[in-house]
Amino acid sequence: MERTWNNKAWFLVLPVLVLVAFSAVIPLMTVVDYSVQDTFGNNQFFWAGTEWFEELLSSSRFWQAMGRNLVFSAIILAIEVPLGILIALNMPKKGWGVPVCLVLMALPLLIPWNVVGTIWQVFGRNDIGLFGYYLNKLGFDYNYVQDPLDAWFTVILMDVWHWTSLVVLLCYAGLVSIPDAFYQAAKIDGASRWAVFRYIQLPKMQRVLLIAVLLRFMDSFMIYTEPFVVTGGGPGNSTTFLSIDLVKLALGQFDLGPAAAMSLVYFLIILLLSWVFYTVMTNYDAER
Amino acid sequence: MAVSRNWIVPFLAVVAVYLAAAGLLAAFVPVQDGVRAWGAPLIAGGWMAWTFPTAMFFLTIFGILSLMAVWEYAVPGGNPRVGVLRFETTRGDRLFVSLLGSAFIHLAWLGLVGASLWWALALSVVYAIAVFRYV
Repeated sequence: MERTWNNKAWFLVLPVLVLVAFSAVIPLMTVVDYSVQDTFGNNQFFWAGTEWFEELLSSSRFWQAMGRNLVFSAIILAIEVPLGILIALNMPKKGWGVPVCLVLMALPLLIPWNVVGTIWQVFGRNDIGLFGYYLNKLGFDYNYVQDPLDAWFTVILMDVWHWTSLVVLLCYAGLVSIPDAFYQAAKIDGASRWAVFRYIQLPKMQRVLLIAVLLRFMDSFMIYTEPFVVTGGGPGNSTTFLSIDLVKLALGQFDLGPAAAMSLVYFLIILLLSWVFYTVMTNYDAER
Repeated sequence: MAVSRNWIVPFLAVVAVYLAAAGLLAAFVPVQDGVRAWGAPLIAGGWMAWTFPTAMFFLTIFGILSLMAVWEYAVPGGNPRVGVLRFETTRGDRLFVSLLGSAFIHLAWLGLVGASLWWALALSVVYAIAVFRYV
Protein backbone atom coordinates (compact mmCIF):
# COMPACT_ATOMS: atom_id res chain seq x y z
CA MET A 1 0.00 0.00 0.00
CA GLU A 2 1.34 3.41 -0.90
CA ARG A 3 2.00 5.67 2.06
CA THR A 4 0.28 9.05 2.11
CA TRP A 5 2.44 12.03 2.99
CA ASN A 6 0.66 15.03 4.43
CA ASN A 7 3.04 17.70 5.65
CA LYS A 8 0.17 20.03 6.61
CA ALA A 9 0.11 18.28 9.98
CA TRP A 10 3.37 20.10 10.77
CA PHE A 11 1.33 23.29 11.29
CA LEU A 12 -0.16 21.63 14.37
CA VAL A 13 3.21 21.75 16.12
CA LEU A 14 3.60 25.48 15.56
CA PRO A 15 2.29 26.44 19.04
CA VAL A 16 4.91 24.16 20.62
CA LEU A 17 7.59 25.70 18.43
CA VAL A 18 6.61 29.17 19.62
CA LEU A 19 6.74 28.04 23.27
CA VAL A 20 10.13 26.37 22.80
CA ALA A 21 11.39 29.47 21.01
CA PHE A 22 10.63 31.65 24.01
CA SER A 23 11.74 29.19 26.68
CA ALA A 24 14.86 27.77 25.01
CA VAL A 25 15.87 29.12 21.62
CA ILE A 26 15.90 32.85 22.44
CA PRO A 27 17.84 32.38 25.72
CA LEU A 28 20.28 30.10 23.85
CA MET A 29 20.74 32.74 21.14
CA THR A 30 21.45 35.32 23.83
CA VAL A 31 24.09 33.05 25.36
CA VAL A 32 25.73 32.65 21.94
CA ASP A 33 25.69 36.45 21.54
CA TYR A 34 27.27 36.97 24.96
CA SER A 35 29.92 34.28 24.38
CA VAL A 36 31.73 36.36 21.76
CA GLN A 37 31.51 39.68 23.59
CA ASP A 38 32.64 41.33 26.78
CA THR A 39 30.53 43.56 28.98
CA PHE A 40 31.13 45.78 31.95
CA GLY A 41 27.43 46.21 32.67
CA ASN A 42 24.97 48.88 31.56
CA ASN A 43 24.14 46.79 28.44
CA GLN A 44 27.36 47.84 26.74
CA PHE A 45 29.09 45.09 24.80
CA PHE A 46 32.50 44.86 23.15
CA TRP A 47 33.51 42.29 20.55
CA ALA A 48 35.82 39.58 21.92
CA GLY A 49 35.60 36.97 19.13
CA THR A 50 36.71 33.50 20.19
CA GLU A 51 38.80 34.78 23.11
CA TRP A 52 36.58 33.29 25.84
CA PHE A 53 36.50 29.89 24.19
CA GLU A 54 40.29 29.84 23.85
CA GLU A 55 40.66 30.90 27.46
CA LEU A 56 38.19 28.25 28.59
CA LEU A 57 39.74 25.40 26.62
CA SER A 58 43.20 26.18 28.01
CA SER A 59 41.95 26.67 31.55
CA SER A 60 42.89 23.99 34.08
CA ARG A 61 39.99 25.16 36.27
CA PHE A 62 37.48 24.09 33.57
CA TRP A 63 39.09 20.70 32.90
CA GLN A 64 39.39 19.96 36.61
CA ALA A 65 35.69 20.73 37.14
CA MET A 66 34.86 18.53 34.14
CA GLY A 67 37.02 15.72 35.57
CA ARG A 68 35.27 15.99 38.94
CA ASN A 69 31.90 15.83 37.20
CA LEU A 70 32.82 12.71 35.22
CA VAL A 71 34.29 10.97 38.29
CA PHE A 72 31.20 11.87 40.33
CA SER A 73 28.84 10.54 37.64
CA ALA A 74 30.87 7.32 37.28
CA ILE A 75 30.89 6.71 41.04
CA ILE A 76 27.19 7.30 41.59
CA LEU A 77 26.26 5.13 38.57
CA ALA A 78 28.54 2.35 39.84
CA ILE A 79 26.77 2.48 43.21
CA GLU A 80 23.17 3.38 42.40
CA VAL A 81 22.52 0.99 39.51
CA PRO A 82 23.64 -2.29 41.21
CA LEU A 83 22.14 -1.16 44.52
CA GLY A 84 18.87 -0.25 42.83
CA ILE A 85 18.69 -3.64 41.12
CA LEU A 86 19.48 -5.43 44.38
CA ILE A 87 16.75 -3.58 46.30
CA ALA A 88 14.19 -4.04 43.50
CA LEU A 89 14.90 -7.79 43.39
CA ASN A 90 14.25 -8.06 47.11
CA MET A 91 11.09 -5.97 47.21
CA PRO A 92 7.83 -7.89 47.72
CA LYS A 93 5.82 -8.57 44.57
CA LYS A 94 2.43 -8.96 46.29
CA GLY A 95 0.70 -8.26 49.61
CA TRP A 96 0.71 -5.27 51.95
CA GLY A 97 4.46 -4.86 51.67
CA VAL A 98 4.18 -3.59 48.10
CA PRO A 99 2.53 -0.20 48.79
CA VAL A 100 4.66 0.29 51.92
CA CYS A 101 7.90 -0.28 50.00
CA LEU A 102 6.76 1.85 47.07
CA VAL A 103 5.87 4.79 49.34
CA LEU A 104 9.17 4.45 51.23
CA MET A 105 11.07 4.39 47.96
CA ALA A 106 9.19 7.38 46.58
CA LEU A 107 9.75 9.56 49.67
CA PRO A 108 13.33 10.74 48.95
CA LEU A 109 12.31 11.63 45.39
CA LEU A 110 9.63 13.99 46.68
CA ILE A 111 12.04 16.12 48.70
CA PRO A 112 13.26 19.27 46.91
CA TRP A 113 16.99 19.38 46.11
CA ASN A 114 17.79 22.33 48.35
CA VAL A 115 16.01 20.65 51.27
CA VAL A 116 18.04 17.46 50.67
CA GLY A 117 21.18 19.59 50.75
CA THR A 118 20.13 21.26 53.98
CA ILE A 119 19.24 17.92 55.59
CA TRP A 120 22.68 16.49 54.78
CA GLN A 121 24.49 19.68 55.69
CA VAL A 122 23.11 19.41 59.22
CA PHE A 123 23.16 15.58 59.33
CA GLY A 124 26.86 15.48 58.45
CA ARG A 125 28.06 18.13 60.90
CA ASN A 126 30.34 16.68 63.52
CA ASP A 127 29.04 18.91 66.34
CA ILE A 128 25.24 18.71 66.02
CA GLY A 129 24.64 16.29 63.11
CA LEU A 130 23.62 12.74 63.95
CA PHE A 131 25.76 11.20 61.21
CA GLY A 132 28.89 13.31 61.67
CA TYR A 133 28.74 13.24 65.46
CA TYR A 134 28.48 9.46 65.74
CA LEU A 135 31.11 8.81 63.06
CA ASN A 136 33.52 10.84 65.17
CA LYS A 137 32.38 9.02 68.31
CA LEU A 138 33.19 5.74 66.55
CA GLY A 139 36.73 6.96 66.00
CA PHE A 140 36.53 8.18 62.39
CA ASP A 141 38.11 11.57 61.81
CA TYR A 142 35.17 12.84 59.74
CA ASN A 143 34.76 16.53 58.88
CA TYR A 144 33.28 17.32 55.49
CA VAL A 145 33.93 21.05 55.90
CA GLN A 146 37.72 20.59 56.03
CA ASP A 147 38.56 17.27 54.42
CA PRO A 148 38.03 16.91 50.62
CA LEU A 149 37.61 13.12 50.88
CA ASP A 150 34.94 13.52 53.56
CA ALA A 151 33.21 16.14 51.43
CA TRP A 152 33.14 13.75 48.45
CA PHE A 153 31.94 10.92 50.69
CA THR A 154 29.08 13.10 51.97
CA VAL A 155 28.03 14.35 48.53
CA ILE A 156 28.07 10.81 47.08
CA LEU A 157 26.20 9.37 50.07
CA MET A 158 23.61 12.14 49.76
CA ASP A 159 23.10 11.46 46.06
CA VAL A 160 22.83 7.71 46.64
CA TRP A 161 20.26 8.34 49.39
CA HIS A 162 18.29 10.74 47.21
CA TRP A 163 18.31 8.97 43.85
CA THR A 164 18.81 5.21 44.28
CA SER A 165 15.07 4.87 44.79
CA LEU A 166 14.49 6.13 41.24
CA VAL A 167 16.56 3.22 39.93
CA VAL A 168 14.70 0.90 42.32
CA LEU A 169 11.28 2.02 41.10
CA LEU A 170 12.27 1.71 37.44
CA CYS A 171 13.76 -1.76 37.97
CA TYR A 172 10.76 -2.83 40.02
CA ALA A 173 8.46 -1.74 37.17
CA GLY A 174 10.53 -3.90 34.82
CA LEU A 175 10.47 -6.87 37.19
CA VAL A 176 6.71 -6.91 37.84
CA SER A 177 6.05 -6.87 34.09
CA ILE A 178 7.70 -10.30 33.69
CA PRO A 179 4.94 -12.92 33.25
CA ASP A 180 4.91 -15.80 35.77
CA ALA A 181 5.27 -18.28 32.90
CA PHE A 182 8.96 -17.30 32.59
CA TYR A 183 9.64 -18.21 36.22
CA GLN A 184 7.64 -21.43 35.92
CA ALA A 185 9.66 -22.47 32.86
CA ALA A 186 12.90 -21.67 34.71
CA LYS A 187 11.75 -23.74 37.68
CA ILE A 188 10.96 -26.72 35.45
CA ASP A 189 14.44 -26.42 33.91
CA GLY A 190 15.96 -26.31 37.40
CA ALA A 191 17.53 -22.88 36.82
CA SER A 192 19.58 -21.41 39.66
CA ARG A 193 18.78 -18.02 41.22
CA TRP A 194 21.68 -16.49 39.29
CA ALA A 195 20.49 -18.06 35.99
CA VAL A 196 16.98 -16.63 36.54
CA PHE A 197 18.50 -13.22 37.11
CA ARG A 198 20.96 -13.43 34.21
CA TYR A 199 18.66 -14.88 31.56
CA ILE A 200 15.17 -13.68 32.56
CA GLN A 201 15.19 -10.69 34.90
CA LEU A 202 18.19 -8.75 33.57
CA PRO A 203 17.15 -8.90 29.88
CA LYS A 204 13.62 -7.87 30.83
CA MET A 205 15.00 -4.95 32.84
CA GLN A 206 17.37 -3.81 30.09
CA ARG A 207 15.04 -1.11 28.76
CA VAL A 208 14.29 0.43 32.17
CA LEU A 209 17.95 0.15 33.13
CA LEU A 210 18.90 2.15 30.06
CA ILE A 211 16.42 4.84 31.07
CA ALA A 212 17.75 4.75 34.64
CA VAL A 213 21.37 5.09 33.50
CA LEU A 214 20.42 7.91 31.12
CA LEU A 215 18.46 9.83 33.74
CA ARG A 216 21.01 9.39 36.49
CA PHE A 217 23.95 10.21 34.28
CA MET A 218 22.40 13.39 32.88
CA ASP A 219 21.16 14.46 36.29
CA SER A 220 24.48 13.81 38.03
CA PHE A 221 26.39 15.54 35.23
CA MET A 222 24.27 18.65 35.77
CA ILE A 223 24.18 18.43 39.57
CA TYR A 224 24.20 21.79 41.29
CA THR A 225 21.90 22.45 44.23
CA GLU A 226 22.75 19.60 46.60
CA PRO A 227 26.58 19.91 46.65
CA PHE A 228 26.29 23.70 46.56
CA VAL A 229 24.13 23.70 49.71
CA VAL A 230 26.27 21.10 51.53
CA THR A 231 29.82 22.09 50.64
CA GLY A 232 29.52 25.25 48.50
CA GLY A 233 32.03 23.61 46.15
CA GLY A 234 34.66 23.19 48.87
CA PRO A 235 36.80 22.59 50.77
CA GLY A 236 38.92 24.54 48.29
CA ASN A 237 37.54 23.52 44.92
CA SER A 238 37.29 19.82 45.72
CA THR A 239 33.54 19.54 45.07
CA THR A 240 33.25 22.34 42.52
CA PHE A 241 31.45 20.69 39.63
CA LEU A 242 30.90 22.34 36.25
CA SER A 243 27.53 23.84 37.17
CA ILE A 244 28.85 25.30 40.44
CA ASP A 245 31.87 26.72 38.61
CA LEU A 246 29.56 28.20 35.98
CA VAL A 247 27.38 29.93 38.57
CA LYS A 248 30.49 31.29 40.34
CA LEU A 249 31.69 32.69 37.02
CA ALA A 250 28.35 34.11 35.84
CA LEU A 251 26.78 35.37 39.06
CA GLY A 252 29.71 35.56 41.48
CA GLN A 253 32.19 37.28 39.19
CA PHE A 254 29.60 38.59 36.66
CA ASP A 255 31.92 37.50 33.82
CA LEU A 256 29.09 37.05 31.34
CA GLY A 257 31.28 36.42 28.29
CA PRO A 258 33.43 33.59 29.75
CA ALA A 259 30.34 32.16 31.50
CA ALA A 260 28.41 32.13 28.22
CA ALA A 261 31.30 30.36 26.48
CA MET A 262 31.42 27.79 29.28
CA SER A 263 27.63 27.34 29.10
CA LEU A 264 27.84 26.60 25.39
CA VAL A 265 30.60 24.01 25.79
CA TYR A 266 28.67 22.43 28.68
CA PHE A 267 25.50 22.46 26.55
CA LEU A 268 27.28 20.79 23.62
CA ILE A 269 28.62 18.02 25.86
CA ILE A 270 25.14 17.42 27.31
CA LEU A 271 23.65 17.47 23.80
CA LEU A 272 26.20 14.91 22.57
CA LEU A 273 25.62 12.59 25.52
CA SER A 274 21.83 12.91 25.20
CA TRP A 275 22.06 12.03 21.52
CA VAL A 276 24.23 8.98 22.24
CA PHE A 277 21.81 7.72 24.91
CA TYR A 278 18.76 8.50 22.79
CA THR A 279 20.26 6.64 19.84
CA VAL A 280 21.15 3.63 21.96
CA MET A 281 17.63 3.51 23.42
CA THR A 282 15.73 3.95 20.16
CA ASN A 283 17.90 1.39 18.40
CA TYR A 284 17.36 -1.03 21.22
CA ASP A 285 13.60 -0.57 20.68
CA ALA A 286 13.98 -1.04 16.93
CA GLU A 287 15.96 -4.28 17.42
CA ARG A 288 13.23 -5.62 19.67
CA MET B 1 15.38 8.19 -5.89
CA ALA B 2 12.55 9.92 -7.73
CA VAL B 3 11.96 13.59 -7.02
CA SER B 4 8.23 13.86 -6.64
CA ARG B 5 7.70 17.62 -6.47
CA ASN B 6 9.01 20.76 -8.00
CA TRP B 7 11.63 22.07 -5.58
CA ILE B 8 13.14 24.87 -7.68
CA VAL B 9 10.68 27.59 -6.63
CA PRO B 10 10.85 26.96 -2.84
CA PHE B 11 14.64 26.54 -3.10
CA LEU B 12 15.03 29.87 -4.85
CA ALA B 13 12.63 31.47 -2.35
CA VAL B 14 14.77 30.28 0.60
CA VAL B 15 17.98 31.50 -1.06
CA ALA B 16 16.38 34.87 -1.88
CA VAL B 17 15.09 35.34 1.69
CA TYR B 18 18.52 34.34 3.07
CA LEU B 19 20.36 36.83 0.87
CA ALA B 20 17.83 39.59 1.57
CA ALA B 21 18.08 39.02 5.33
CA ALA B 22 21.91 38.96 5.15
CA GLY B 23 21.85 42.24 3.20
CA LEU B 24 19.48 43.79 5.71
CA LEU B 25 21.73 42.73 8.60
CA ALA B 26 24.78 44.14 6.83
CA ALA B 27 22.96 47.43 6.42
CA PHE B 28 22.45 47.59 10.19
CA VAL B 29 26.19 47.21 10.97
CA PRO B 30 27.22 50.46 12.69
CA VAL B 31 29.93 52.65 11.26
CA GLN B 32 32.62 53.78 13.72
CA ASP B 33 35.26 56.30 12.67
CA GLY B 34 34.28 55.88 9.02
CA VAL B 35 34.70 52.08 9.03
CA ARG B 36 32.08 49.37 9.42
CA ALA B 37 32.44 47.80 12.88
CA TRP B 38 31.43 44.19 12.08
CA GLY B 39 31.68 43.09 15.70
CA ALA B 40 29.76 46.00 17.23
CA PRO B 41 26.21 45.47 18.54
CA LEU B 42 23.60 45.87 15.79
CA ILE B 43 21.22 47.53 18.25
CA ALA B 44 23.05 49.68 20.78
CA GLY B 45 21.87 48.82 24.31
CA GLY B 46 19.80 45.82 23.14
CA TRP B 47 19.72 43.10 25.81
CA MET B 48 20.33 40.26 23.37
CA ALA B 49 23.49 42.03 22.16
CA TRP B 50 23.15 40.94 18.53
CA THR B 51 26.21 41.36 16.34
CA PHE B 52 26.52 40.76 12.61
CA PRO B 53 28.59 37.51 12.94
CA THR B 54 26.22 35.93 15.49
CA ALA B 55 23.15 37.02 13.51
CA MET B 56 24.67 35.50 10.36
CA PHE B 57 25.43 32.30 12.27
CA PHE B 58 21.79 31.86 13.27
CA LEU B 59 20.52 33.03 9.89
CA THR B 60 22.67 30.33 8.26
CA ILE B 61 21.34 27.68 10.66
CA PHE B 62 17.75 28.73 9.85
CA GLY B 63 18.67 28.79 6.16
CA ILE B 64 19.99 25.21 6.38
CA LEU B 65 16.84 24.10 8.23
CA SER B 66 14.68 25.76 5.57
CA LEU B 67 16.64 24.01 2.82
CA MET B 68 16.12 20.71 4.65
CA ALA B 69 12.39 21.50 4.62
CA VAL B 70 12.56 22.11 0.86
CA TRP B 71 14.41 18.81 0.44
CA GLU B 72 11.72 17.05 2.46
CA TYR B 73 9.03 18.75 0.32
CA ALA B 74 10.78 17.57 -2.84
CA VAL B 75 11.54 14.03 -1.67
CA PRO B 76 9.26 13.20 1.29
CA GLY B 77 10.09 10.47 3.76
CA GLY B 78 13.42 11.63 5.18
CA ASN B 79 15.41 9.06 3.20
CA PRO B 80 15.99 6.63 6.10
CA ARG B 81 18.94 4.25 5.63
CA VAL B 82 21.50 2.25 7.57
CA GLY B 83 25.01 3.63 7.12
CA VAL B 84 28.45 3.12 8.64
CA LEU B 85 27.13 3.67 12.17
CA ARG B 86 24.97 0.56 11.59
CA PHE B 87 21.72 2.13 12.70
CA GLU B 88 18.98 3.85 10.77
CA THR B 89 19.35 7.59 10.22
CA THR B 90 17.17 10.08 8.38
CA ARG B 91 18.28 13.30 6.69
CA GLY B 92 17.43 15.22 9.88
CA ASP B 93 19.61 12.86 11.95
CA ARG B 94 22.47 13.33 9.51
CA LEU B 95 22.13 17.12 9.71
CA PHE B 96 22.12 16.96 13.51
CA VAL B 97 25.26 14.76 13.54
CA SER B 98 26.90 17.15 11.06
CA LEU B 99 26.13 20.28 13.08
CA LEU B 100 27.06 18.75 16.42
CA GLY B 101 30.28 17.28 15.00
CA SER B 102 31.12 20.62 13.40
CA ALA B 103 30.74 22.37 16.75
CA PHE B 104 33.23 19.95 18.30
CA ILE B 105 35.60 20.29 15.33
CA HIS B 106 35.62 24.06 15.85
CA LEU B 107 36.18 23.70 19.60
CA ALA B 108 38.99 21.19 19.07
CA TRP B 109 40.59 23.53 16.53
CA LEU B 110 40.37 26.43 18.97
CA GLY B 111 41.86 24.36 21.77
CA LEU B 112 44.60 22.65 19.77
CA VAL B 113 45.52 24.96 16.91
CA GLY B 114 44.42 28.56 17.34
CA ALA B 115 41.88 31.25 16.72
CA SER B 116 41.73 31.20 12.91
CA LEU B 117 38.72 29.01 12.23
CA TRP B 118 38.63 28.93 8.41
CA TRP B 119 40.38 25.55 8.26
CA ALA B 120 38.05 24.25 10.94
CA LEU B 121 35.11 25.41 8.80
CA ALA B 122 36.54 23.65 5.74
CA LEU B 123 37.09 20.49 7.79
CA SER B 124 33.49 20.71 9.05
CA VAL B 125 32.14 20.96 5.50
CA VAL B 126 34.14 17.87 4.49
CA TYR B 127 32.90 16.11 7.62
CA ALA B 128 29.26 17.07 6.86
CA ILE B 129 29.56 15.79 3.27
CA ALA B 130 30.99 12.52 4.60
CA VAL B 131 28.14 12.23 7.13
CA PHE B 132 25.48 12.83 4.46
CA ARG B 133 27.20 10.36 2.15
CA TYR B 134 28.09 7.49 4.48
CA VAL B 135 26.13 7.72 7.76
